[in-house]
Amino acid sequence: MTTERAFNAGQRFLLAAKGFWTTTLYQHVRTEFDAITQGKDVNSVAAVAETLEDLTTYQYFAWLERHMQRMKYSGRYGLARFYDEHRESFLARLGAVPLNDPVLELDPELPLPKYYTDVDIHQHPGGVWSDDVAGLVYEHGARSTTPLLGAAHANLHTRFTDLVAEGGTPASVLDMGCGFGKSTRPFITKFANARIEAVDLSEPCLRVAAQFAHEAGSSNVHFRQRDAANSGFADNSFELVTSTMLLHEIPPGPLNSVFAEAFRVLEPGGRMVHLDFYYFPDAFTRFMHYGHGRRNNEPYMQPLAELDLPQVLRDHGFTDVEITPFAEAPDAQSSQVWRFPWTVISARKPLRPTKS
Amino acid sequence: MTNKAAAPRRPEQIFFDDPALDRLMGVVMTLASEHYVLRDRLQALEEQLVKAGHVSAASLAAAPSLEKEAQYRADADDFARSILHPLLAQQQALGVTGRFSLRRRGS
Repeated sequence: MTTERAFNAGQRFLLAAKGFWTTTLYQHVRTEFDAITQGKDVNSVAAVAETLEDLTTYQYFAWLERHMQRMKYSGRYGLARFYDEHRESFLARLGAVPLNDPVLELDPELPLPKYYTDVDIHQHPGGVWSDDVAGLVYEHGARSTTPLLGAAHANLHTRFTDLVAEGGTPASVLDMGCGFGKSTRPFITKFANARIEAVDLSEPCLRVAAQFAHEAGSSNVHFRQRDAANSGFADNSFELVTSTMLLHEIPPGPLNSVFAEAFRVLEPGGRMVHLDFYYFPDAFTRFMHYGHGRRNNEPYMQPLAELDLPQVLRDHGFTDVEITPFAEAPDAQSSQVWRFPWTVISARKPLRPTKS
Repeated sequence: MTNKAAAPRRPEQIFFDDPALDRLMGVVMTLASEHYVLRDRLQALEEQLVKAGHVSAASLAAAPSLEKEAQYRADADDFARSILHPLLAQQQALGVTGRFSLRRRGS
């Protein structure tokens, strides 16, 4: 059995290697690319691929992205094995929230979409839904998604919530695709008097979310096992609909249903604000972003980035559509390290329908 | 909850011109990981020996403190840098460069 110490050391090595990869190795790829393409017009992902994919440094960069993530979850010091070996003790910690607790509503009969079950996102074996410990594994894995952020990773959720609060204090909030509740927690705190509803497809994740809410003594939130595309809430029942890192996990067809559902449940005048990864204008970083989607088992990253989101949202009847780059940390805009195209996508349901 | 049925294994993605490198890199990174884990264990042993004069299996298995974790993280950064620096393919001492071949110059 893997000891906690050995597991921690294995994960620490990977995190350190990821630190080298995201800074030094990334900078070398960029420098070599710039030297090769100096004076040339390289303004498409295909044109970048033409140059980069034959570059040895890039090949190592790509390999490492794929396989450091594999080792994070699989293998002797992987999260999946460690949580499987210590399953009983981890599940016992979740036992504090009874299955009939009012904070948690589970639906074992909920049909899970094929796009959701067909791919093990983030290279998490079995996905975030198929194993009782999957929510705990996901929660642990999310702590090291962005190596340079470290503890500040949690703060990006707070930064996002603060940004949302600048637009007003809603009395009711729906957090779509809440996962294990990390995105929901700042809303629970920031809007302490609001009714907060959070939905996700994954029972294991919702159980972790409920556990955190239980421990924090939060009484203004419910975590429900429901599909964001079919949430079951009444028409016009929320002042704010939000999500964090959900949209890029959904293919364009079902994504349309999610936007339609958001529009339906929003009160007239209500706001929809998502934090997600969208579009890099620079072809090099866009190439890296699309490659990340493929290497990290997130096949809908590229389709989302290629979507004309403002038009899609207007087609759904939204107004005041804004697509704004988001700084996940105070010094986040450096081009010297690999980072995601963090973007705030916001829109409003008009007081009167504008849809034809 | 019904666990997901084991899916058939697909061939892994390929990144290098020669797929042998993809596989070899997997071996190298696994060895590097094992090496680091051993190194970590050795550190633990040394600390235990100095502190108490004997080895305690239970305390060897315990997670390090947050303070220790930060200290070990710096060492891991250095270790990872030394492991991965050869990927940059830079000479450390001045000499002939390029691919070595006797195809044209062999007799």
